[in-house]
Amino acid sequence: MRTHFLHRAAAAATVLSVVAVGCKKAAPPPPAAPPPAPVAVASVDLGKQLGPDKRVVQAMTTFGVRDTIYASVATTGTATSAVLTALWTFQTGQKVDSTATTIAPTGPAQTEFHIVKASPWPKGKYKVAIWLDGQVAGEKEFEVK
Amino acid sequence: MTDPNEPLPDFSDVQGGSSSTAPKPQEQTYTVVKGDSLSKIAKALYGSAGKWKVIYEANKDMIKNPDLIYPGQVLRIPPV
Repeated sequence: MRTHFLHRAAAAATVLSVVAVGCKKAAPPPPAAPPPAPVAVASVDLGKQLGPDKRVVQAMTTFGVRDTIYASVATTGTATSAVLTALWTFQTGQKVDSTATTIAPTGPAQTEFHIVKASPWPKGKYKVAIWLDGQVAGEKEFEVK
Repeated sequence: MTDPNEPLPDFSDVQGGSSSTAPKPQEQTYTVVKGDSLSKIAKALYGSAGKWKVIYEANKDMIKNPDLIYPGQVLRIPPV
């Protein structure tokens, strides 16, 4: 009797599992990959020497009158086209230089801007503003002594 | 304190430049609409109106006078 019951139970379980397989829902589609992060400025560092990775060798905010001044801009994110602009100004608000470059980063990237002057830099305070697609994305002040 | 009578310093001999580890974008095209000028397009696409000459140089075959561009013209926009 007990054996008979077990056989029936096993048969029922088999039928149920076949039905379950037959009714199995299609696997849900894999979640869509998140959209790539838009490009953003992560940091701005100043220096007078660049490494091969376009980062400043030593970050500083005081320069000599004969120095070439570098601003190294770290960006994150991706873009098919993004305009980075460096606007250099003197303490009077006078424009020293403005340079724009278009990049298509596919991940973290380093972009350097530099200014060099044939005659000595006037001593005083300066500022470089980094614009990303028309919006200020970073600023750094420095001094020439 | 800055003396207002002091002459402004001369930055005319400053040279600026840039380079990046990021790749440059592929050349784009831009279709001129009413009210456009080369400097307006350069400002929008390069962030600097002064770069209009880059667009002019790349499209000299179809732009005879840089002050005259026409709606519908498709301009090459080289990366800068």
